Amino acid sequence: MKVTYAKAIGDALKEEMRRDSKILLFGEDVAEFGNIFGITRGMLEEFGPKRIRNTPITETAIIGSAIGAAETGLRPVAELMYTDFTTVCFAEIFHCVAKWRYMHGPEYKLPLVIRAASGSSNGAGSEHSNCVESLFMHAPGLTIITPSCAYDAKGLLKSAIRSDNPVLFCEPKLLYQSKQEVDEAEYESDYTIPIGLADVKREGTDVTLVAVGLMVPRALEAAEKLAAEGISVEVIDPRTIAPLDKDTIFASIRKTHRAAIVEESNKTSGIGAEFAAMFQEELYDELDGPVARIAALDVPMPYNIPMEHYSIPDVERICATIRGMF
Amino acid sequence: MDYAKEFLEKIHEDLLKTRMLEEKLVETYAEGKVPGHIHSGVGQEASYVGVLATRKPGDYFKIGHRVIAATCILGNPLDSFFGECLAKKTGNAGGRGGVNHTGRLQDGVLGMSGTLGCDAGISVGAALTIEANGTDNVSYFFVGDGAANRGPVSEAMTLAADWKLPVVFVCINNGYGISTPTTFSSPVPNVLADRAVGYGMPSVVVDGTDVLAAYEAAKKMVEYTRAGNGPSVIECKCYRWRGHFEGDQCPYRDGTVTEQEIAERDCLKNFEQVLADSGVMTAEQFAKMRADFDQEMNESIERTLVAPEMTADEIYDYLYV
Repeated sequence: MKVTYAKAIGDALKEEMRRDSKILLFGEDVAEFGNIFGITRGMLEEFGPKRIRNTPITETAIIGSAIGAAETGLRPVAELMYTDFTTVCFAEIFHCVAKWRYMHGPEYKLPLVIRAASGSSNGAGSEHSNCVESLFMHAPGLTIITPSCAYDAKGLLKSAIRSDNPVLFCEPKLLYQSKQEVDEAEYESDYTIPIGLADVKREGTDVTLVAVGLMVPRALEAAEKLAAEGISVEVIDPRTIAPLDKDTIFASIRKTHRAAIVEESNKTSGIGAEFAAMFQEELYDELDGPVARIAALDVPMPYNIPMEHYSIPDVERICATIRGMF
Repeated sequence: MDYAKEFLEKIHEDLLKTRMLEEKLVETYAEGKVPGHIHSGVGQEASYVGVLATRKPGDYFKIGHRVIAATCILGNPLDSFFGECLAKKTGNAGGRGGVNHTGRLQDGVLGMSGTLGCDAGISVGAALTIEANGTDNVSYFFVGDGAANRGPVSEAMTLAADWKLPVVFVCINNGYGISTPTTFSSPVPNVLADRAVGYGMPSVVVDGTDVLAAYEAAKKMVEYTRAGNGPSVIECKCYRWRGHFEGDQCPYRDGTVTEQEIAERDCLKNFEQVLADSGVMTAEQFAKMRADFDQEMNESIERTLVAPEMTADEIYDYLYV
């Protein structure tokens, strides 16, 4: 069967809420409207207004109430609509969510998930197109997950909801309508994907390409093209940005001796900056050349769609960068 | 007085202990034993004790950064309290949090954000749990007059009102946010109470140095909120006796006013006078309680001073479950 990323997110939410009455979901326009992307459509009818709750535009209170609910026994899923809006409740996430248990002691567990739609979407402009993973990689204590396909999205969201640690769950919105062929029996089963486990999306021998979120399908397409040119690319999706599955990534680099990172966010201080620093620190002797960072240009996302597309890595840019490594 | 003797004795005990703990923190800080900074709540105790006299088991509390000793009357053992303040393993977070993060979840203490006001929504979330459990408990959110101006407080009040949740927003208005007087920082004299109407909440304003008045005022709001009518606001007017932090000489305010406040509006002294005048308790009882609790505190501090500190191999503990 074919399933979209958006449906997988919705299915994970519904299945978990049926399983555990302590789970509730709240955010802007999630109830009657069913979220602006339709993700939570039908959930108000199934779970009622106490468990599917609209909020006013009060992001700091959405995050705050997720903390308060989580530490006192509920398992909230808080929705921020766009990951860009994490910036208006940055302190609540950076200081409170990430540090609460550390600052107050082991009693204070926060089983909560912050979900938000991430990245570009054709003309959404500078304040509705950001990827924020790298901002929050700087917050020890936070789990950060960005799935790249429907199967992973469902399994990882279930794990996020079941985790006793707070999770920032980023959903690249250009992937929402992407379809994936999945085994129906497995999809319908109660499968989960462990947090902190990367996935080798394509095996290769010449270069390790670590790709995040929306960049995973582009990396796979690039790998296909490059294979025809005689370059064998191993594509690894970390899936969990923090904590990072260094074992899987490092094992790949030890095999290929070359590494590149492709991400949708800005290059400077991005995910790739951290990963590249880590690779050279810990795998210097394994590398046959500099680690390549393929990322968005360091500009606010332009509203003009051709320029938006120009600023974000595409298959051609990925291919050109990889070719340049040999 | 139309109060049971036990009730008055309990209020007095909470007031005395809170005062003595706040004084002891100042003393301990002066001796160089507190690694961080303290924000003394001496003089403001009745605002907390009066409001918290309305509490019942199952309630939740977000305490403010001033009068942190309030966590002790909610159940936090002295060794845990001093342990956290003195950064020892015996503290609730083993010395990772510090003076602003004392308390225990098992007592209903939700924790505090050092970025004051960021924790407002947390009280709303605890009220979600109360609603889900179907009890008549309430979630108390204590905030100072300074942080009451912050956006997160406004957002939390909006959300609590929209969801009609049992949150009691308590503003402890001591007149100053560090050096900034409320006459400058707030367009209205009652920082939170005058704004309550904008959130559809009832409010009371009370002399926060009169513990029974604070209790009576709080009772009205807490009963309203316990009955399922939604959130409410209490504003306790008091005065910050000491500087924002220890060492602050308060050059920005008139010292004679401070002296007058201390002389005339000492919540503990005034309440003990009432108790003595009405024959509920005697000066001898007060003295004995003081001596006993002082000894209890000193013994706890002695234990705390020799308690182990966390070590480098424990620095990542509590980061992830």
